[in-house]
Order: sequence, then structure tokens, then C-alpha cells
Amino acid sequence: MFSDGEVAVTAQASARSGAHASDDTGSRRAERLARCLERARGGEIAALDDVVRELNPLLWHVARAQGLDPGEAYDVVQTTWLELLRRLDEIRAPAALTSWLISTTKREAWRVNRSRSRVVDGAEPAEMADSGPELDEGLITGERDRALWTHFRRLSRRCQELLRVVALVDRPDYTLVSEALGMPHGSIGPTRGRCLAKLRELLLADPIWSTR
Amino acid sequence: MTDPDPLAGWPDELDAEILTGLRGLHARLDPPPPEMAEQMLLAMAVADLDAELAAVSGEQLAGSGARASEQTRTITFDAVSLTVMVSVVERADARVRLDGWLAPAAPLRVELRLPQTDGRASLEATADDTGRFVFPAVPRGLVWLVVHRDGSTVVTPTFAL
Repeated sequence: MFSDGEVAVTAQASARSGAHASDDTGSRRAERLARCLERARGGEIAALDDVVRELNPLLWHVARAQGLDPGEAYDVVQTTWLELLRRLDEIRAPAALTSWLISTTKREAWRVNRSRSRVVDGAEPAEMADSGPELDEGLITGERDRALWTHFRRLSRRCQELLRVVALVDRPDYTLVSEALGMPHGSIGPTRGRCLAKLRELLLADPIWSTR
Repeated sequence: MTDPDPLAGWPDELDAEILTGLRGLHARLDPPPPEMAEQMLLAMAVADLDAELAAVSGEQLAGSGARASEQTRTITFDAVSLTVMVSVVERADARVRLDGWLAPAAPLRVELRLPQTDGRASLEATADDTGRFVFPAVPRGLVWLVVHRDGSTVVTPTFAL
């Protein structure tokens, strides 16, 4: 898990550039969510309302990035929320709530993928999900967005999964999120770096995207 | 570790722009179903309270007055041992009035769960001896009712106001 030192470093990184800037910085957000969790543990279930509203889109994208169809993703995310209720007292560090939710969603998604793949003998769940969910690309407006999407879809499934989820979280959560997605601690930097570096390279070589 | 601080200086402005772009694209191309969060909260409430989920057994629109604003919508929810009926009455402001009845009539505590993220998560009313309860001013959105009885709880599905 996170040491205090790492939190401080990432919080500084966050202050340096304000891409996901909001009034509510990532670390303050984590504190707020942790307080909600404490209240819920005290029996005030309604305290989880904010947690659900805020993190449900993230869990949706985690499930969808695993190759689940919308119906499966819905069920998997619901299972995660119900699991949270059952295990409120077991989450040792409230600050790790986000990563707990992500890894629970991912584990449940794998279970669904595995039970589906039993039909196709020998197929790995990862292969099943290779093509990714079908999306209506007609909704993309603007050349730069279209270029970004095209290059993003050229990345490996693993990179697409990672970047899709990482893009949704505030900066101080990147490490936790990467861990929750099953990236071993030592390889987080390089793995994340490789995925983003690859996309960045493709984009910079594409005049549609790099020329502003 | 050779690189004790892999996050220092990362992401730079360009990385941040890419991530922001990806966030926007996924939000547009593959958003969660509308009202999914409210439905998750409902599922959690049902599980937490070990409650019975009532079913919608009827919905009627009664247009009494000449103006559309005087129309009243009535929804009936049935559980095994309790029927909950609510009338949604338009108000002059952005909110609505909710009149409800419990059958069989009993002075039970009724909780209205609200969709808003700030402010109150729920409103409470207590039914009178005839089973009648009122929420005079309810913000619009997806809501649901929780009826608390001794030893058991009935929850309605979400309904839009």
C-alpha cells in the first residue's frame, strides 16, 4: 500500500499541473470518501450515497474494460456494491476504498468472463475480451478526438484497460488504481509509462492530433 | 528500487491532455446507464434492510384541471402485506408534493430517498392512523420510498418525479 511519503509526492505532482483540476483535489476527495465509509460503518448506510454516485462510473468503466457487455457490467458493479455492504468492517484502510472497489469489480468481471469462456474450450478470458466492447464511434465529433480514439484502439487490450481506468481517477490515486488492476508494484511505473508513452508517440506522429 | 519515485513529474501537460481526452471519449461513447447509481443505491438499501421490494402494480395520470400543471399522477406499489399508493402533485415551483396512503392503514414511518448529492439524502414522514402521509415539497429526480415496520421493511422501486 501507499506510504505517507508517496502520498505527499503525488499530491505535489497534482499541484504542479492541474489537468483534472477541481475544487476537490484527489487527496481531499479520498479523505471525504473515507469519512463516508466511517459513517456507514457506524450504521449510517445513507452515507454511502455519495460514494456510490461518485465511484459508480469508475466501476462501470472497470467492468466494461474487462470486455463485459453492458448487462454483465451492470450486474458485476451491483455485486461489488452489495459486497461493499457485506464487508464494510473488513476494509482495513478506508483510504483504500477506491482500490478495494476496483479490485472487487475486476475479480467479479473475471469470474463472469471465465464462466462464459468455459463454453469455448481453452480460450483465455483475456482473449475473449480482445475486441473490446462495441461502441458507437459515430458519437465522436472532432478530428482530434477521432485521432485520439483511433490510436488508443491500436494499443494492447491491457494498455486500453489501464488507460481507460487511470484516466478516470485523480492523480494521487494512480498508484492505488494500477495496483488494484493487478499491476505488480515494481512494474507500475514502467507499465503505465509504456502504455501512455506508446499512445503519446502515435499521437505526436499524427499531424491531425499534434498540429493544433 | 532503482526508481523510488516513478510518479515524480508525471504526468506532464501532454500526458494530462491525453488522459483528459480519453476520459471525455469514454464518458461520451460508453457512459453508465442513466440512473444506474440510483438503482445501485436501491439495491443496497434492499439488501441492507433485508427489505421486501414492492412491485409497481399500477400507474395512472388523472388530468383534472384545464392546465397540465393540475394533472396528478398516481402510482401503486404492492408488497405481500402492504400496498403503498402515492400521488404526485405539481407545485408552482420546481418541486412536487407527494401524497401517500398505506393499506392496511397503520401509523408507520415512511422515508423518501432523494437523488441529490448535496443536501439531504432522505425526507421522513409518519403516516397517520388512516395510513395517510405527505411530503409537501420534494425536489425532482429519481426517488424511492422505504416503509419501516416492526421487524420488516418495504422498499418501492425507484420512480421519477
